[in-house]
Amino acid sequence: MATFFGEVLSVYSRAVEEDDDDLDDENEDEQIHREIEEKREVHIAWCPEVAQSLEDSGSNKLQCSDLIIAVGTNAAGFLSAYVLNTESWDAVGHVSLWNERSRGSSRQSIALLPGEPACLFYRHRDNPAVLVCQSTCYIAEDQLFQWTEKVFGCLQKRGLSVMVLSDSPVAEYKTPDYLYGSAVPFLRSLKSSASESQALCPALEQPNILTGLPAAVLSHCQVHQIPAVLYQCYTDVISPDSITMETYKPALLCLSKLVKLEPCLSADVLRKFAIITEAQSNLYT
Amino acid sequence: MSYDRAITVFSPDGHLFQVEYAQEAVKKGSTAVGVRGKNVVVLGVEKKTVAKLQDDRTVRKICALDDNVFMAFAGLTADARIVVNRARVECQSHRLTVEDPVTVEYITRFISSIKQRYTQSNGRRPFGISSLIVGFDFDGTPHLYQTDPSGTYHAWKANAIGRSAKTVREFLEKNYKEEHMESDTDVIKLAVRALLEVVQSGGKNIELAIMKRDESMKILVQEEIEEYVTAIEKEKEDAEKQKKKT
Repeated sequence: MATFFGEVLSVYSRAVEEDDDDLDDENEDEQIHREIEEKREVHIAWCPEVAQSLEDSGSNKLQCSDLIIAVGTNAAGFLSAYVLNTESWDAVGHVSLWNERSRGSSRQSIALLPGEPACLFYRHRDNPAVLVCQSTCYIAEDQLFQWTEKVFGCLQKRGLSVMVLSDSPVAEYKTPDYLYGSAVPFLRSLKSSASESQALCPALEQPNILTGLPAAVLSHCQVHQIPAVLYQCYTDVISPDSITMETYKPALLCLSKLVKLEPCLSADVLRKFAIITEAQSNLYT
Repeated sequence: MSYDRAITVFSPDGHLFQVEYAQEAVKKGSTAVGVRGKNVVVLGVEKKTVAKLQDDRTVRKICALDDNVFMAFAGLTADARIVVNRARVECQSHRLTVEDPVTVEYITRFISSIKQRYTQSNGRRPFGISSLIVGFDFDGTPHLYQTDPSGTYHAWKANAIGRSAKTVREFLEKNYKEEHMESDTDVIKLAVRALLEVVQSGGKNIELAIMKRDESMKILVQEEIEEYVTAIEKEKEDAEKQKKKT
């Protein structure tokens, strides 16, 4: 093209496909895309026994009758306090991933340190078909599908039933009525159509929706006709809090049918999981 | 379009959402109750548990504004500090200008005007506090006023703000008796009973301040509060026994 000053510039025309010159750029773009994809890949690491049983089973799938997933610090705290507090649970695996909010680590971590975001799997020693997953790290939208595919890809679909416990801020709950302080925190449930169990709390009303990992898991269960029930707890507290954790208690009814639970719980155990910053919060007086 | 982000935008149905949300911030503060008697005014607050290493002198919910006025607040601590400082300066400024102490209504109106101004300028947010202002005018009349983040104020005979304000207010409505307001002890007992409805673990989480006519504000020590609590519990027991007899 001729410019105003008389010089001639070679300009690429979009009408013409030019193969040779762009190849390097394309390669570079492709390489960057590939690197990002690799970085954002979701990895599941199982402990040696589970990895062995996966290999031994012909289809590379674990026998699992019940999968309980806790998403969020309060749900995870509830499971830690009421279910995982006995000695009969083994940490069998974890999911490591990287995104802007979760700079994942590849540690073979065992205990869920309070405040440390992670995604851990536990299995009951006496009933190895019961798996518990505690997910407190942020999983980006593009990684949710991978997470669900990889996790459910390791589990036998037949006879599987799923329960999801998830936290949500009450500010996201849409209702025409004003919510008085005493109503919060509260539970709402959602089921896949294959689920025949009675929900222990009212169903989630429209126009409220689920997002994130709970939505991905429930969608997967709906598509693959796996019975699944989800309990969403709406709470007005940001940090882990013992009252919010106690709201999940109705779920204990189902859980006690699967594994033996501690009959009574001391308040100290709960307080251990409720975050220590409570006393330091001088924002409100 | 979302109408709740900017303070200076009305929603189509006439709401100022930021101001309404500021009321929610007030509900996150612990309860404060105020009662106006004939000869004494009382403010009681629920004391928050402080961290072990924290000096609890710095977590004061009841502040004196002048010798004849004091207030309690509920909501954002830092906002309260600013409002209290401005009110204290205004009290002294009033004394210098007019050579008289402020009336309770004057200083309440001053505080409310500040709060209202912050609901009408851009780039600012409302103060997230409600306050109970009590005291005596120089003619000896006792007053109790309540302000809220929108900048409105009203006079009350007894009121509560903060976390369980609704429960406490209902208790006050049921148990406030005009004839009991002559006795200082009954006024104080009403405030303590109202707080005991919502405070966990009784007397040690209550802080009480009283002001009698022509006296300065007095914050009761723990032993005095325990005395009132014991007296109230005894009265409750006696009332139960009476009920069982009939």
